Amino acid sequence: MKKKNNNKIKLMKGERGFHYMALVIMILMMVFCVVPLILMFSVSLSSENSLVHGYRFIPDEWSLNAYQYLWAKRVTIARAYGLTILVTVVGTIASLIMTSMFAYPLSRKDFKLRNVFAFILFFTMLFNGGMTASYMVWTRLFHIKDTIWAYLLPGGLMGGMNVMLVRNYFNANIPYSIIEAGRLDGARDWTIYSKIMVPLSKPIMTTIGLFAALGYWNNWTNGLYYISNPKLYTIQVYLKKLMDSIQFLKTTDLSNEAVMLAQRNLPTESARMAVAIIALIPVLAIYPFIQKELIKGMVIGGVKG
Amino acid sequence: MSPTKNKSASEFDNVLKQQKKSARKARFKTDLPLYLMMAPGLIYLIANNYIPMFGILLAFKRINYSVGILKSPWVAFDNFEYLFKTKDAFIMIRNTLCYNAVWIVMDIVIAVFIAICMNEIAQRKIAKVIQPIICFPSMVSAVILSFLVYAFLSQSYGYLNATIFKDNPVAWYTTASYWPIILTIVHIWQSAGQSSVIYMASIGGIDKGLYESARIDGATKREQIKYITLPLLKPMIIMLLLLSIGRIFNSDFGLFYQVPLGNGMLYETTQTIDTFVYRALIQSNNVGQSSAASVFQAVIGFVLVLMSNALVRKINPENSLF
Repeated sequence: MKKKNNNKIKLMKGERGFHYMALVIMILMMVFCVVPLILMFSVSLSSENSLVHGYRFIPDEWSLNAYQYLWAKRVTIARAYGLTILVTVVGTIASLIMTSMFAYPLSRKDFKLRNVFAFILFFTMLFNGGMTASYMVWTRLFHIKDTIWAYLLPGGLMGGMNVMLVRNYFNANIPYSIIEAGRLDGARDWTIYSKIMVPLSKPIMTTIGLFAALGYWNNWTNGLYYISNPKLYTIQVYLKKLMDSIQFLKTTDLSNEAVMLAQRNLPTESARMAVAIIALIPVLAIYPFIQKELIKGMVIGGVKG
Repeated sequence: MSPTKNKSASEFDNVLKQQKKSARKARFKTDLPLYLMMAPGLIYLIANNYIPMFGILLAFKRINYSVGILKSPWVAFDNFEYLFKTKDAFIMIRNTLCYNAVWIVMDIVIAVFIAICMNEIAQRKIAKVIQPIICFPSMVSAVILSFLVYAFLSQSYGYLNATIFKDNPVAWYTTASYWPIILTIVHIWQSAGQSSVIYMASIGGIDKGLYESARIDGATKREQIKYITLPLLKPMIIMLLLLSIGRIFNSDFGLFYQVPLGNGMLYETTQTIDTFVYRALIQSNNVGQSSAASVFQAVIGFVLVLMSNALVRKINPENSLF
């Protein structure tokens, strides 16, 4: 008897029921989260004829036609894809550099004005002029409409929360004595920042970098507000416009010849889902490798709003 | 006081002043690299955050592009008056507040529930698969989300109309009354996993010894949750509750605008302040009402954030923003 009990405490009768109930609930939750994605995948792999009877989880008739449509549209899609990658890479790098460069002086206890600048930063987290004011400033003052800057600048290039997180990380994890030792060896501020602070704060930089990259990849609202030139569509904006045109045709008179023609040029039901899938695939593909970092970031971000 | 003494005192003052000045100069010189490092960020904050704060003044003008924004006439609170006379104002404020009020409570209950279940099965291998999967929906953009929802609800091909409602298809995208439920389900799908993560972390931090001794005393699982887990989670729950109350006038633009596909027939249940601001500004070109609504949101949001933070600070200073 004793041997059996020594390490694991045996689950008591009522506890076992609770344990399996929790297991079943979580498995159901997981299924609930996966099911819509599976439906989207199967629709994209269904033949157009079989879709007439409606979307199914298991296609009545498999087909790669949807992806052939993507191939036919490869110039448009490749351009949207390339622009998305460009915006994501440039935006993430710029965001990391600006955030950490702003955080470093704020973390220096011998920097007299650090509280002034911390307040300047902090106030932006409490108060903002609202979306309309922001839109007017970016379009009327800085004229970023229909330029690539529209994806990079408005909104999230450097957020107060991220700067605070990096500054706190600097303060908590990098002892001041290292900075002093560096200075005794003749290192200037720039060297201390780039050779000591940044390399030593990889974990927090990875976390906020991943969220920044995800934000840029998924961003479509900036495109919605500031972009009207189809050549400047990112993949998300392209998807959004695709959905718009479908909705538009659905609500207009179908006897109209022009509409009929337009509808024929639209991607089929399955092709639309295929476009959505290729926008989702990069996220899906790297998610397993970055999920630990992201979940860690959710904990940090959750506590601090 | 003799004049000589006075003189030397003022000289002394002068020297002191000069020393202070040169010290300040030296200070500035040594701090210069720090200023330079902050320069890009400062410029960005000015452009992205501070100039728009003055843009609030737009709400008190009647914008006339032909004479320019600066020369447009001041109209005091006219824009707000017009806005609040419309039915739109009532609908969007009601929707924003009601969705938030229900979701804030629901989110906490669901997240804590998931966290307790996850913690119960944490030792199993499958937990390492479940957690990332239930967090994945928060990585999906609102546009892709709208495609996922469309796959279920599309009038002619959608999964629901093709199976459950085969005999009498439902016009999901044109019937406003379904959307509170649809949006709630979509919201749970997208955020439940993510919001449970933080509670999971706190449950993981609870001293296991507490549960052991409770079991020895014969406490059932239910009693352990009721008397150990929940009381220990209480500070975290209250804090997150207060923080979300601070954001009660904000809504997830993507969810309310893109998932219902911007359909006008659904405004009754899908219009929030954020979607109204966009529609008034871009679609109906009504800068006055748009800025009135967005200023209203920003100012009330500011007051609420200050209040909720003051409360958080009282309860747990470590977690307050300031």
